[in-house]
Amino acid sequence: MEKIICKKTSKSNGELLDSDNAFWKSCAKVKVETTGTPLANQPSPYIKGVYDEKKIGAVKELSVFSVHNTENIFFYFEWSSSNPNREIGDINVFPDGLGVLFPFGAIDQTQIKEMGSKEYPTNSWYWRPDFKEKPKNQVAHGLSTSTYTKKSSVQSHSSWNNKAWRLVMSRPLKVSGKDEETVEFKPGGTIGIGFAVWEGNNGERGGVKAFSKEWRELVLEG
Amino acid sequence: MAGEENTLTAREKELAKGFEAAKDNLRKSDKQVGMVMDLNKCIGCQLCSMACKTLWTNMEGREYMWWNKVNTMPGKGSPKDWEKMGGGYKVKFGGKVMEPIRGKHPTRKEFGDMWTYNWNDVITNKAGEVHLQAKNPDGTTPDWGMNWDEDQATGKYPNSFYFYLPRICNHCAYPACLDACPRNAIYKREEDGAVVIDQDRCKGYRFCLEACPYKVIYFNFIKDVSMKCIFCYPRLEQKVPNACARQCTGRVRWVGFVDDPKSLIYKLVKVWKVALPLHSEYGTQPNVFYIPPLAPPRIGTDGKLDSSKPRIPREYLRFLFGPEVDASLDIMNTELQKVKNGGKSELMEILIAREWTHMFGPYTVDPATLERKPDKKGAYSREDLTSLLENKKI
Ligand code: SF4
Ligand code: SF4
Repeated sequence: MEKIICKKTSKSNGELLDSDNAFWKSCAKVKVETTGTPLANQPSPYIKGVYDEKKIGAVKELSVFSVHNTENIFFYFEWSSSNPNREIGDINVFPDGLGVLFPFGAIDQTQIKEMGSKEYPTNSWYWRPDFKEKPKNQVAHGLSTSTYTKKSSVQSHSSWNNKAWRLVMSRPLKVSGKDEETVEFKPGGTIGIGFAVWEGNNGERGGVKAFSKEWRELVLEG
Repeated sequence: MAGEENTLTAREKELAKGFEAAKDNLRKSDKQVGMVMDLNKCIGCQLCSMACKTLWTNMEGREYMWWNKVNTMPGKGSPKDWEKMGGGYKVKFGGKVMEPIRGKHPTRKEFGDMWTYNWNDVITNKAGEVHLQAKNPDGTTPDWGMNWDEDQATGKYPNSFYFYLPRICNHCAYPACLDACPRNAIYKREEDGAVVIDQDRCKGYRFCLEACPYKVIYFNFIKDVSMKCIFCYPRLEQKVPNACARQCTGRVRWVGFVDDPKSLIYKLVKVWKVALPLHSEYGTQPNVFYIPPLAPPRIGTDGKLDSSKPRIPREYLRFLFGPEVDASLDIMNTELQKVKNGGKSELMEILIAREWTHMFGPYTVDPATLERKPDKKGAYSREDLTSLLENKKI
């Protein structure tokens, strides 16, 4: 399984939660290929019947980098989007978006294509430009079941320029409380990780998106 | 289009089965409520729209919504030109195959945005200096609204015509919205078949707005969820009829169970077969039915009544209500004639609706008799109001 190393750094939260910080520019990002979700996985007969599978998944690649400073974990993302959709301006306008997915349990038991199952649920962090840098924390037990938890400790900082989004999502390594069911990160440990990107301009929302077909292993430096 | 049957993996086939079963389940209901509206009696007063607005859509993000609206026909309706926006189904093999048709999202301006007026400027300036103007939230001047083409007739005087078409969600038996939702947030209520959107499950993806061929779903921009007519189910639960129906000036609306042979709805739809669904070719099997407009006779060039052809072209009524409209109008004409000749007609008795409370089937409770606590600060109860009035405080 392909690995993504989450490097340990001594940089401050403030420096890191800044998508334009020079640090992110210079780091050696991992390229992740993303593809459109298959129609077979759409729980809606309407989408299955009228959408064209070949047109789903406008974003083909994501650049990812991750670090932790023993307190918080940070994910940096970069992807091209020539027309950013920042808001739901109208009924036919969909904002861009990015999601990071983690299995709560064993990677090999958790279906990335189906966002997990009853027995093997997934946790995801969902960023959208209209969420005002407060990404949502979600739990899913399979397709069409993802639900926002009451609380989310995920923070973000994003910018769009040169036809690309730059985004940092961050969160304390460990979060507790019953209102935020979520995964825990342990320095020295590993966890599965997956990605999804929505190109609003292509009408992408919900299960109509681009995603990484396979789990990667996120290895946190001790 | 989905991959061919034989290229699907075993898991994909299993998923497909599960998805279908989920939708079948959401579509199920033990009973089906419905409404019949008599277009011969609707006077376009919009009291129904206002009843609905004050009850359901005067809240945050809902201000531009009209879960009940009355459109002038033939007209572009609301959203503007909704009949050209697609959605619904191509029904094949007698309903064994329901092939969804791609629909278009209406825009906010096609619905008509929530515009405001420059009242203050008009009042605080010298008379005639500033004119009353409407502005959309984005500063543009509105050019469409809920009944923008109000009372615009078609045809030439003295044979021009228009009529009103009140519209709500049709609480369809095969709702395209329900099928479209990837979150399984839309379902038919088991107890009455009303189609509702679970506001906690809805994530505002708006596939339902695309798929509903009647374009009666709205998007709440503040709450990021889709919303529509709920057939006043909280009232039904208290045996109170829908606000639009109870408030109707014209005794236009009957409410009841479509599948109950004793209901007047059943009589109008199934026995007399005069009440017809709007655009049944959309395939969603609506549970709102209309008594088509008979319209007054034409006036000939000699100034005399000309009954050789109808005032409202039959083609247009067939477009709206299908070929069954001919039989419906014939039956009504026959029954009307019977009464004119001094006879009796069960159908005409129902349509006249002498006892308006009989129009609502099992929903006989007067909402004023319910025990209610004002839920908002500053809202008055009936008693408060009476005592304030008696003490001349207001
Ligand atoms: S009229 Fe539209 S929103 Fe209402 S049930 Fe039918 S398809 Fe759904
Ligand atoms: S209240 Fe009745 S008469 Fe008035 S517009 Fe509505 S349906 Fe027509």
